Amino acid sequence: MQTLVSVYELPSDVASVVRKLKARGFDDLTTYSPAPFEEIEEAEDAKPSGVRLYTLLGGLIGVVTGFGLQLWMSMDWPIKIAGKNIAAIPPMWIIGFELTILFGGVATVIAFFGFAGLRPRKLDEHYSPRFSAEDFGVVVTCEARDVPEVEGLMRGHNAKEVVLHGSD
Amino acid sequence: MAPPPASAVADAMTAPARPRPSQTNIDIMAVTKGFHWPWMIALMFAVSGVIMAFCALAYQTYEGLGVAGYQAPVFWAVYIITFVFWIGIGHAGTLISAILFLFRAKWRNAINRGAEAMTVFAVLTAALFPLIHIGRLWKFYFLLPYPNQRYLWVNFKSPLIWDVFAVNTYLTISVLFFIVGLIPDIAIARDQAVGWKKVVYTVLAAGWQGTGKQWKAHSRTILHLSGIATPLVLSVHSIVSWDFAMSIVPGWHATIFAPYFVAGAIFGGFAMVIVVMVPVRRIFRLEKYITDYHFENMSRFILFTSLICAYAYGAEYFIAWYSGIEFEQTSFWQRAFGPYWFSTWCMIIFNVVFPQLLWIKKLRTNVPFLFVLCVFINVGMWFERYVIIITSLSREYIPAAWGLYIPSTVELMVLTGSFCWFSMFFLLFLKMFPIIAITEVKELEIHAKEHGGAR
Repeated sequence: MQTLVSVYELPSDVASVVRKLKARGFDDLTTYSPAPFEEIEEAEDAKPSGVRLYTLLGGLIGVVTGFGLQLWMSMDWPIKIAGKNIAAIPPMWIIGFELTILFGGVATVIAFFGFAGLRPRKLDEHYSPRFSAEDFGVVVTCEARDVPEVEGLMRGHNAKEVVLHGSD
Repeated sequence: MAPPPASAVADAMTAPARPRPSQTNIDIMAVTKGFHWPWMIALMFAVSGVIMAFCALAYQTYEGLGVAGYQAPVFWAVYIITFVFWIGIGHAGTLISAILFLFRAKWRNAINRGAEAMTVFAVLTAALFPLIHIGRLWKFYFLLPYPNQRYLWVNFKSPLIWDVFAVNTYLTISVLFFIVGLIPDIAIARDQAVGWKKVVYTVLAAGWQGTGKQWKAHSRTILHLSGIATPLVLSVHSIVSWDFAMSIVPGWHATIFAPYFVAGAIFGGFAMVIVVMVPVRRIFRLEKYITDYHFENMSRFILFTSLICAYAYGAEYFIAWYSGIEFEQTSFWQRAFGPYWFSTWCMIIFNVVFPQLLWIKKLRTNVPFLFVLCVFINVGMWFERYVIIITSLSREYIPAAWGLYIPSTVELMVLTGSFCWFSMFFLLFLKMFPIIAITEVKELEIHAKEHGGAR
């Protein structure tokens, strides 16, 4: 297998080359970008992020925990306060709401670390500090026979550099 | 026809050109590098103040709360005032990072990191004060619902317990928001660093490389955190206001308290952002990134929220008069003309009168003027809480039970120390991490390069 690393100046070029490459069946690709650009994210993977499910799940666990905690503790040692019911629901909304946010937020960040693959590790072989400076990168792994086509696509979308790695 | 061998193609490919350095990376990371005398002097002052406050606190812990100047009927004083003040300061950071993000206000990109850092350190500072206020610091866990031998649980119908949950949630979410936003910039620091710094930044960057998958997860996380932080920030100061409004003390028992406190918090918070960012911009030469345009926009927020505060002050006096309740009327009369008149008039002049100068465009972009104005506003906002807490408690129902409270030296030392504590964290942060969100600024720059315009 061959790996082609191409470098671009503009996010629109990256987005269009990624769309073209994927349309031609070159799915084993990675983009590197110095800043977030929606068009690149969409071109690379149009599916909605799974982070939102974790936010929802965390929020639901939070609201159940918030109300459950208060109901149980109120009933566990019943004390009448200010003429209200032992387990008065209206004041429980406050802590129920706060725990919804707390659990939702924590679950969101856990999901972020999971989906982004964040953990102390070695960086990708083809990652370069230039991708945290000004340049964008597109790395494609393909069969040796596809190299000219991939290179042509990359150059056709204003790649300012294309480098071949891993020749066999 | 068979395709040419890969090696032939490789030969035809251009050799790697020299990567372009990013001027934005260089400029912003320069803050963390080198030695800056003003920074060192400020840090020395801050650390000295923190040591002084710890000495005062140790003395108070040994002697008891009697040295805090508490005197019947005033048992909520400088510590609670300062707690409310610092919680309020944090609100601007969340407003800038979360609410303005949802409104797609791109101008926030240059100031959001500083404001978020300010939020985290302000809430950290605020969270100390309920513990200082209870006197026996080591009993702080009584505030939490934990299994205990007396089989008692906390009172979930009390706003004070709501506050414990609200402040802790706010602190946690603010820290998470801050960390998520910081990771891509730490990767930039990692790519520039050498030696032991590179090791530290490599661990903290957690393998961030800016891949499409990572950016997608990052964007969604920021979006969702913004979505949940927005109602959170509004709830936190509402709940803080209910510490007062749920009671029957004249001057406290008012339905306007929640929006009044939230607006005041944003007002004071924006003023603090300006107070902090003006010297940072000047000392570290960041004029290219934090422009007069940013200060003008923040001034507009200050002007708008000042008008809401003015309305709230007016509504409080009007309702006190219109209610026909003698205790309310007396309480408000005492605020303006009683022994605490000075704090009330400072509040009105600094928070309502002075900010009206911001109707003048020239003054909205006059940075030295804004700095001085915002210092006054912060003083005014501290006095606002002083007025609410001290005058109401000292002039409750029966004149025979009235009293006079004067802050003690210990309280004033701890108050001063809180500013030093906040400043110390902020100054250390300046030298460790980028004070401007580099990736977000670059997003604007690259968009501008591609499409033209944009600030």
